Amino acid sequence: MSTSSLGATDQLGTPPAGPAPLVAEIGGGRWGDVWRAISRNKKALAGVLLLLVFVVLAIFPGQIAPDDPAAQVYTPALGPSWHHLLGTTGRGEDVFSQLVWGTRMSLVIALAVGALATALSVLIGVSAAYLGGIADGILSLITDVILVLPIFPLIIVIAAYRKNSGLFTLIVVLGALGWSYGARQLRVQALSLRSRDFLESARVRGERKAYVILFEILPTMTSLIVATFLGSALYAVLTAAGLQFIGLGDPNSQSWGTMLYWAQNGEALFAGMPLWAIAPGVCIALLGASFALLNYAFDEISSPALRVRKLDRARIPKRLPPPAEAPQAGAGPVLKVEGLSVAYATDAGPVVAVDDVDLELARGEFLAIVGESGCGKSTLLYAIARLLGSPLPGEIVGGRVLFQSKDLVLLEERELRRVRWRDLSVVMQSAMNALNPVLTVAEQMRDACRAHSNMSRAEIAERSREVLRLVSIDPVHLHSYPHQLSGGMRQRAMIAMALLFTPDLVIMDEPTSALDVVAQRSLMVQIKELQERLGFAVIFVTHDMSLVSHFSDRLLVMYAGQVAEMAQTRELFDRPRHPYSQGLLEAFPSIRGPKVRLLGIPGAPPDLARPPAGCRFAPRCAHVQPRCTAAEVPLTSVNGSVVRCVLAENAP
Amino acid sequence: MRFVVRRLGFFVVTLWAAITANFLIPRLMPGNPALAMMARYRGHINPQALHALEIAFGVKSHQSVLSAYFSYLGNVFRGRFGISLTFFPDAVSHDVLQALPWTLALVGVTTILAFLLGTLIGLVSAWRRGGMLDSLLPPIFVITSAFPYFWLAMLAIWLFAIKFHWLPQSGGYDFTTTVGWTWAFVGDALKHSVLPALTILVTSIGGWILTMRNNTISVLTEDYVRMARAKGLSPWRVMWTYAGRNAILPNLTGFAMSLGFVVSGAILVEFVFNYPGVGWMFLQSVENQDYALMQGLFLMIVLAVLTAILAADAATALLDPRTRDLK
Amino acid sequence: MRPRGERALSEALLRTEGLTRHFHVGKLLSRQTLHAVDDVDLTIGRGEIVALVGESGSGKSTIARLLALVYRPTRGEIWFEGRPLSRLRGRKSRLAYSAAVPMVFQDPYSSINPAYRVSHGIVRGMKLHRGDLSRSERGAELNRVLDSVGLVPAGETRRRFPYELSGGQRQRVGFAQALALRPKLIVADEPVSMLDVSIRVGVLNLMGELREQEGVSFLYITHDVASARYLADRILVMYAGHLVEEGPTEDVLQRPKHPYTQLLVSAVPDPRAELGLADARDVGEPPKVVDPKPGCRFRQRCALAVAECETVTPQLRELGDGRRVACHVAG
Repeated sequence: MSTSSLGATDQLGTPPAGPAPLVAEIGGGRWGDVWRAISRNKKALAGVLLLLVFVVLAIFPGQIAPDDPAAQVYTPALGPSWHHLLGTTGRGEDVFSQLVWGTRMSLVIALAVGALATALSVLIGVSAAYLGGIADGILSLITDVILVLPIFPLIIVIAAYRKNSGLFTLIVVLGALGWSYGARQLRVQALSLRSRDFLESARVRGERKAYVILFEILPTMTSLIVATFLGSALYAVLTAAGLQFIGLGDPNSQSWGTMLYWAQNGEALFAGMPLWAIAPGVCIALLGASFALLNYAFDEISSPALRVRKLDRARIPKRLPPPAEAPQAGAGPVLKVEGLSVAYATDAGPVVAVDDVDLELARGEFLAIVGESGCGKSTLLYAIARLLGSPLPGEIVGGRVLFQSKDLVLLEERELRRVRWRDLSVVMQSAMNALNPVLTVAEQMRDACRAHSNMSRAEIAERSREVLRLVSIDPVHLHSYPHQLSGGMRQRAMIAMALLFTPDLVIMDEPTSALDVVAQRSLMVQIKELQERLGFAVIFVTHDMSLVSHFSDRLLVMYAGQVAEMAQTRELFDRPRHPYSQGLLEAFPSIRGPKVRLLGIPGAPPDLARPPAGCRFAPRCAHVQPRCTAAEVPLTSVNGSVVRCVLAENAP
Repeated sequence: MRFVVRRLGFFVVTLWAAITANFLIPRLMPGNPALAMMARYRGHINPQALHALEIAFGVKSHQSVLSAYFSYLGNVFRGRFGISLTFFPDAVSHDVLQALPWTLALVGVTTILAFLLGTLIGLVSAWRRGGMLDSLLPPIFVITSAFPYFWLAMLAIWLFAIKFHWLPQSGGYDFTTTVGWTWAFVGDALKHSVLPALTILVTSIGGWILTMRNNTISVLTEDYVRMARAKGLSPWRVMWTYAGRNAILPNLTGFAMSLGFVVSGAILVEFVFNYPGVGWMFLQSVENQDYALMQGLFLMIVLAVLTAILAADAATALLDPRTRDLK
Repeated sequence: MRPRGERALSEALLRTEGLTRHFHVGKLLSRQTLHAVDDVDLTIGRGEIVALVGESGSGKSTIARLLALVYRPTRGEIWFEGRPLSRLRGRKSRLAYSAAVPMVFQDPYSSINPAYRVSHGIVRGMKLHRGDLSRSERGAELNRVLDSVGLVPAGETRRRFPYELSGGQRQRVGFAQALALRPKLIVADEPVSMLDVSIRVGVLNLMGELREQEGVSFLYITHDVASARYLADRILVMYAGHLVEEGPTEDVLQRPKHPYTQLLVSAVPDPRAELGLADARDVGEPPKVVDPKPGCRFRQRCALAVAECETVTPQLRELGDGRRVACHVAG
């Protein structure tokens, strides 16, 4: 039942106190924040300003327009002049005045239909999602039917039977037929919210359904509701203009669509009065554009993935580059990382997620990297594999990754591709996400083989079966899609894929943390066996120190983007030197031995945007001394281990 | 399989809803325009035309509403929509079939083209995030997607037909050429379709670009894309089979959902260009109060949209194995 | 049945009898029944911490939701303070039960509404269940519960938004929400599994302290056997919807009787012990309990299985010293 147990793991380098989600800003009534977000976004700003202009025109047309829009008193078909900024119509009216007066109707239609359609969308979409079952089935079917029915022709049919019906009828019809798109989207979002624990929490508390919908669900959907409003307003402006244009509105009303109707009837374009036809269209387009821009900008503000941030390298504290060194060929470590630093951009400036990490990996060695959420362990891993990029943002800002006598940091993507998978493969946390859902296991294996070898189809199939057997999967599953396999099998299939070419190094990012404890142990044993048999080296990232205690040769403990301690696994478990390592070891209870009261580690890891001066663990450390915070603490070597702690400096 | 059956069921339900709406609208309007119209025409037009109206509205003075409804359904399924007043004494079905090829050629081809092109541009601009294409096209098309179709059509006529005389301003072909499968006629028809096609393309492509771009951006953050990079696949392969194929799935749904909107625009474009398709004829029938023809054309439009949606569903089933396994 | 109910009334705070919950899966034509929880008898005493352990899909979260009235039992009864819940009539008595048995959720990132300040859930709970409190009393109570879960200074915390808190702090807010209702039993569904190792123990300790100070009982649902040992007086082990073993925590974990419990205990990674490789070949996939036939649900993975296991579902047997096990062979 605990499907979300994969969330137990590293939050991929996001700082703990991340930027506020938009919903929180709005729901919490922080309109100041909303305004700040809008003013930072050029598209939003343009949209708001445009809309404001139209609002002013709609409220004060009498003060702004020079003439009576309906008075046919001027010479027809005049060109633009000071008296008639946009010329006159073929019927002798002032074009500019008509435009100004026409604003009101378009805006009223936009806002009224927007409000009506949004209200219906919310009511129907959210109820469908929340009620579920048959009610959901029926409401969704109605929504979908209305959605795919061509609304505009339908409205024309209705209007054909009831010509010149008033503004009110128009608004009701447009609203009654225009809610379905929003309802569908709101339903999807509400459905995804339905499984959120805070709604369950409200139900368990004993809240009534109406309360849950109105006060728990709706406030968290603010941004989508706003988008629905903007979308329906845009639809209303365009549809109403279309209806008026073909003569199904009131021909004597003042609106942009009606102007276009008369312009078309008066052959404005052929008779040399292009402004009469162009100007109303420009207004419709501008009003529509203001809604479209706001919608687009809102999308960007509320889903940060759409925003591009640029890393400001100048603001990253400089580190001395590691001394140059001729890469040795042949024997020696399979991987050597020197002074590797990774930073990513946030609204508050650059954040150094991995800071000056050195490590070495011998052939066939199993190195485990442990640490808490946000300590940079996954970022380090993907930096080594040169796989940074959304959703794990970051750029390597310093250091070297020497692999097979090449510095991976400097390699072009084209050259990197030759190293990838043949010599260095990757196993990710959740195979459900890491396997392409639309390709079979066989196709995904074939992809990798094709990219790196000239194997024939039959050879590829044979090799694929072979690696599946290595991880105890029946080769019949070769032609399964990922969603057809069980969780444990998917994870094994991904490991099989990583072994297609028996690489020198396999990088593993919590490959077992989504599994239950029995399956987890079984997979760990299998990984270890394969590693010993095939002789590849492993870097294994995990948040669970005890998981690797029997499997890894060495252990690297990371804290706040830095190496806190690196030692032989047994040594680190028996004699942890860094207070953080000690704290971690004492933080989890054991199922054997005497029961002792544990304390954990007080406090929380630091915000990497503002790391504490000196030792980054000092604020949580029981042994803190004045010199800890005075200056950065360097790594010290003690009996083959390295430790970043002043206490170790004194040790013999 | 279940997916296909379900979508077919949806097709039938929606078609039924449209037919029913068609039947009910004239009756539900205040003052029952159907009966009023019949009363007005009785004695003024010949019995054949009156009978056409009867079929269009499903009205026979002595029938109950329910039996009128069923005889109406029967007529619709046999393709009997009555007789057109505009093109008297043509059967409505005959007129509809006359107009259909023009619309399929113009709107159908243009819409598919816009979808494919928009999807491609969206994919590439998301793939090269912040590049030339990405910083230029999406913002432009956000704005053009808010343009009224018919206004852009007018603008195109004014600019390219009246000012520069590059292309013909209206109609589907020159009346001096004879209709038939000759090079002269096809070439002429193509020339006439350039402006309306461009108008539809420019206004509808923006939506596809934006949704595909946003889909791709979110798909690019998926682990399987990173995995594909880790496998050392060529960027081409990653973009198409890993990012593109997954990102297009929601876009196909989007295609189905916004088709109605595109068709609305296309109707107006045909109207402005006097293009002899379904949309133009539809508005003609509205203007001439030719209700039989109007209703027949409306059902034709619904049928076309639904067929396109079914095609999009089939494509989804083809591209996404998960829908095929849907239980 | 009746006499047993009377007897248990004196000691148990909450007791279930034959608690069963099935879900329908599949569509109309291929309807199947998923047996999430089958025939579970459990008791929780006053001031007792009971751990319910099992793998994902074993039905432990369903039990939590049955106790929290999210689901209705398919069969069986829950007795709270000697009264059967099926006879709760009216919103008022349901509310009274909800206040006595609140729930704390697994995911600290989704269990608090992001649109409101931290105080929202706590205050709502008091408005619903303790309508007699005045506005200022509610404020004082808000500060008190925030204090007792260690979110100090309370006056500062209550104005925060959830995104401004860390996972551990959010989970403490969850406990504060429960505490504001003056509960008798808190159902905690995997409350620490999504927290970082360094702060997990703090939340476990908090539960222990709340039991000491407020006399609250806990049903602690977890897949982490070691944390169950740390916290709980008694442990219940679930497998595929069945309760397979129960007893005093230390007893069960040091001398597990059921083969599944043995497998589970041996699979717990423990740096302080030798690697237990005995059953490492077991790939660890429990069955999906859809339309099950009688028989032991563990039999396919069990080394001890005999013919009887194929046909007869083992019932919990008393082994003395409060231990019970559902196995034909072990004992």
